[in-house]
Order: sequence, then C-alpha cells, then structure tokens
Amino acid sequence: MRAALNLLYRSTGVLAAIGMVATLVFVATGVVSRPLGIYLRGTDAYAGYSMAACGFLALAYTFKHGEHIRVSLLLERLGPRSRNVAEWFSLIVGVVVTGVLAWYSVRMAWFSHEFGDRSQGIDATPLWIPQLLMVVGTITLFIALLDDLVMRARGCEPVRLIVPGQQSSRME
Amino acid sequence: MDIMVALLMVGLMLLMLAGGVWIGLALMAVGALGMLGFTSRAPGDGMAMSIWGMGSSWTLTALPLFLWMGEILFRTRLSSDMFKGLAPWLERLPGRLLHTNIIGCTLFAAVSGSSAATCATIGKINLPELMKRGYPESMVIGTLAGAGTLGLLIPPSIIMIVYGVAADVSIARLFIGGVLPGMMLASLFMGWVVIWSLLNGTQIPAAGVRSTFMQKVYASRNLIPVVLLIGAVLGGIYSGVATATEAAALGVIGALVIAASQRALSWQTFVASLMGATRLYCMIALILAGSAFLTLAMGYIGLPRHLAAWIGELGLSPAMLLVALTLFFILLGCFLDAISIVVLTMAVLMPTIHTAGIDPLWFGIFVVVVVEMAQITPPVGFNLFVLQGITGREITRVAVYALPYFMLMCAAIVLLYLFPQIVTWLPGQMMG
Repeated sequence: MRAALNLLYRSTGVLAAIGMVATLVFVATGVVSRPLGIYLRGTDAYAGYSMAACGFLALAYTFKHGEHIRVSLLLERLGPRSRNVAEWFSLIVGVVVTGVLAWYSVRMAWFSHEFGDRSQGIDATPLWIPQLLMVVGTITLFIALLDDLVMRARGCEPVRLIVPGQQSSRME
Repeated sequence: MDIMVALLMVGLMLLMLAGGVWIGLALMAVGALGMLGFTSRAPGDGMAMSIWGMGSSWTLTALPLFLWMGEILFRTRLSSDMFKGLAPWLERLPGRLLHTNIIGCTLFAAVSGSSAATCATIGKINLPELMKRGYPESMVIGTLAGAGTLGLLIPPSIIMIVYGVAADVSIARLFIGGVLPGMMLASLFMGWVVIWSLLNGTQIPAAGVRSTFMQKVYASRNLIPVVLLIGAVLGGIYSGVATATEAAALGVIGALVIAASQRALSWQTFVASLMGATRLYCMIALILAGSAFLTLAMGYIGLPRHLAAWIGELGLSPAMLLVALTLFFILLGCFLDAISIVVLTMAVLMPTIHTAGIDPLWFGIFVVVVVEMAQITPPVGFNLFVLQGITGREITRVAVYALPYFMLMCAAIVLLYLFPQIVTWLPGQMMG
C-alpha cells in the first residue's frame, strides 16, 4: 500500500516535471516561430495547459516533500499535547478543503464535457481535456492529505518523500 | 454589520494560519466559509473555475520558467565567477570587497527572481572569501542580508509576477519599473558601506595584490555569462522583442547553456533543477490558487468595496495611507512570507488603492520594497533564515547586523514617494 502510494506521488511528480519542460518548449516555439513567419496555432494556450499540468499534478508530490508552506512559528512553540491538537485541526481542514476542491474539479470537467465547452483562444481545445489535469492533481492531493490523516490516526508520523541531492535553492 | 463580517473573516483566517493549515488551503477555506455565511451563492463551482483559470493562464507562465532558471543557475559556478570578476575592480573603494556582496547580489538579482536564492547563491561563495580575508562579520553579514533582498526588486522578480497577476498590472512594465529603484537601493547600500569604512578604516583589511588595468579587464571575462544573460532577459523585455514569459524561456535556455559551458550540466543536475523548480512552483501555485478563489469570494461578499469606501470616508491622505500600509505589511511580515502577504492583501486592498488615486504600477514597486523589508525583520524573515543557515549565527544577531539596511530601505521608500518618477520614468520609455 505504502509503495503504491509513493509510486502515485512520484509518478504525478514526474508528469508535472514533464509539464514544466512542455511549458518551456511551447513558449520557446512561439519565440522562434514568430520571426520566421511560421504561424503555429495556439502555442500560448498550450503553454498555459502545460503549466497547469506542472502546478496541479505536482500538488501531492510537493505536499509529500513537506514543501507546501504553513505558518510554523506557533506550532513549534506549542507543547506536545496542543501541537497534536493543531496537527489534527490542520489535517482535517486540509482533507475537507482538498476533498471539496477535487469534487468540484470533477464537476467542472464533467460539465465542460457535457456542454462541449471549448477554449476561447484560437486553439479551440475542448476544455475538459486539460481540465482533467486539475482533476487528477486535486484528487491525488486529497489522497495525500487523507494518507497523512490516516497515519496520524494510527499514531505514526506521516511519511515524507526525501530524495537526496534534490533540495531546492530556497533553503528554508 | 460590515465591521462584524470583516472581523469574523480576519479572525477565521488567523485561526487557520495559526493552527498550521497550509496557507493556500487556508485561503480557500476562508473564502468558502465567507461565501456560505454572507452570500446566497454556493462556493464550489466558482472555486473550481477561478482556480482553473489561475492555474492555466498564459500570463503566469513566466513564473515557473523563472523559478527553473534560478534553480539551474544555483547549480552553476556563476557566483564564484562573479566574485573573481568583480573583486579586482573594488579593491580601491573604501570598504573594498564588501562591495562585491552588494554588486554581486544586484547582478545576480537581475537573473534570479527570488531574494532567498540571491542571498544563498552569493552568500555561499562571498561569505567564506570575505571572512577569510578578515572583514568585520557585522558588515559582511549585514551587506549580504540587505543586498540579498534586491532579488525581489530587480527584475525578473517572482513577487512582481504575483502582484501583476493579482492586481492586473503589466508584468513587463513592473519589471522595468523595478530597475531604477533597485539600482538606487544598491547605491544607498554602497554609500553606507563607504561612509562606515571611512569612519572605521582600521577594521577593513588592507587591499590584496595590486592588479594592473589590463589584469582587471582580463578578470572581467568571468562576468561575461551573467552580463549576456541579463542582456537577453531584460533587453528582450525592454525593447519589446519578448514578453515577460518569452524572456523567461530565453533565460532558462541561457542558463542551460551557461551550465553546459561550465560542464556543470549533468543529467543529475538537470533533473535536480527541474524537480526543485517544479516543487517550488507548485508551492507558490497552491497559494495563488487559494488567493484566486479568495479574491472571487471577497468580491461576492463585497468586502473590498466597502473597505475602500470606509477608508475613503476616513479622508486619509495618500501619505498617511501608505505609512499605515507599511506598518501593516511589516507586521504581517513577522509571520508570513512575501508571496502570501501580497496575495492575501491584494485580494482586499486593490479597490482602496484605486480610490486613493495611487498608481498601481508605483504601488507594486512600493509593495515589493516593503515586503523586502519584511524579509529581514525577525522573527520570520526568509533572508535571515538563509543567512543563519550559512553562517550559523543566531537569527537575532543577523537581524541586528541587517538593521542599517532596513533603515536605508525606509529612506528609499520616502525617496520613492517624493520622486515617483524613479519608478514610472523607465516604463514610460519602453518600446512595444
């Protein structure tokens, strides 16, 4: 179970990174093709969808690295008992919010599909296709928070993915 | 009634944040509860739509790309090359190599969007070099803390992208607007170092080996990569050839070329920079997602409109309003990071700024400087954390060293208020 969950977080993380590369490729294509007089349809919109892939798909992966920020100033000063209460509180709020967000993302993509919504830009992409990225991303984030909540209920510390040599420059 | 609504929302937000709820999720929760409590609309669909719109908008694509560029450069030898290129020129100036901190941060800020990254990248090379030569610790750490904050003000700047998206101001114009204030601030810092060194001359170690003019010029070849990169990114935006996003793409490619030419580009460093940038972007994206929905919810509740009207009735002069906001931002900076401060307050403040007749472009630069000040005030100041990490000194001691630079930033704000052209002149000259 743990292995399957970690695989889920890691693979969405890798897909998100591919989204980052795709963002670069689409923007760069726009820069290069314009002076050459080649007109490529909708690179702007595709860059936006690629960025959506990067941001949404990485949600759980980033969460499991402990890199989504929270105000830790108070948490660190609390005694063990009140700290436990705060951790429960933040996880329950987190599970509810991400659950609601995942549910309404599904609903949005479903309605886009039902009503045949298309992008306003020249790419005219059926919107439900890129919106699936948000659906997958928010559902995995919900799973990740639920995972942490279950771990806490069992009395163990939530698992974090730490990859050696992959610290970011933020260094906090 | 309005006051009650506002107090309830603020109280709810404080409860969520203090309880340790992840900031982006806390913003969503407060927005949703506010809409449930004070409007007849259901929050769910608006939440999904506003977050989708933010997450897939073309304007925002500059953000992940600039973050990636910073992550690549962090893994190159750029900062040690800059030290080698700058040091020979600065040996004769009062304060000598202390200026490498300030100029180094200024140059690195022009290729990096974040102040923590600027502080860390320059600090990890300059600190050991300067300490080894016997420069006074207070000045070495202080200049680094102060000049590191230029990462936010000198474009490209993550916080300006965030502000531009939140306040609907052109990111390219914000970038160009930050150039002169950034250079002014760097000059103020350098001026302070010169004055301090003239007063405390004995504490500055003697100059190193004297080099001839030609040797200096030859040492400057180390600066070529960074100068080319700055030219491509800022030149592209200023000349109107590239949008902020396109300049970011050029920046990533340029950074990859620099890394490859220094043989610092392996598959491992490429993947590390890519995954690091992905997580960093995702962290910011979650906060932005929360703020996109909170802004929508606030709009339905009508709070920003009422706040603007209320502050309008108070009859505050713009100066009084700005003083109040400065204090408010610094207070928020005691427990929130720069991006969270901007997205949280912009959701509520923009109508007030428009009502008060303050130019949103100028206000953007003002916000960036104030938020920079918050980066070097304890107990939460990310630059202080970074320097604490590199030097191992107590955060309170680092904050004391940084105090003169904090005061200089206050002076800079007064100057920006008296001469708003410092911000607005250069964007007015832009082509395209």
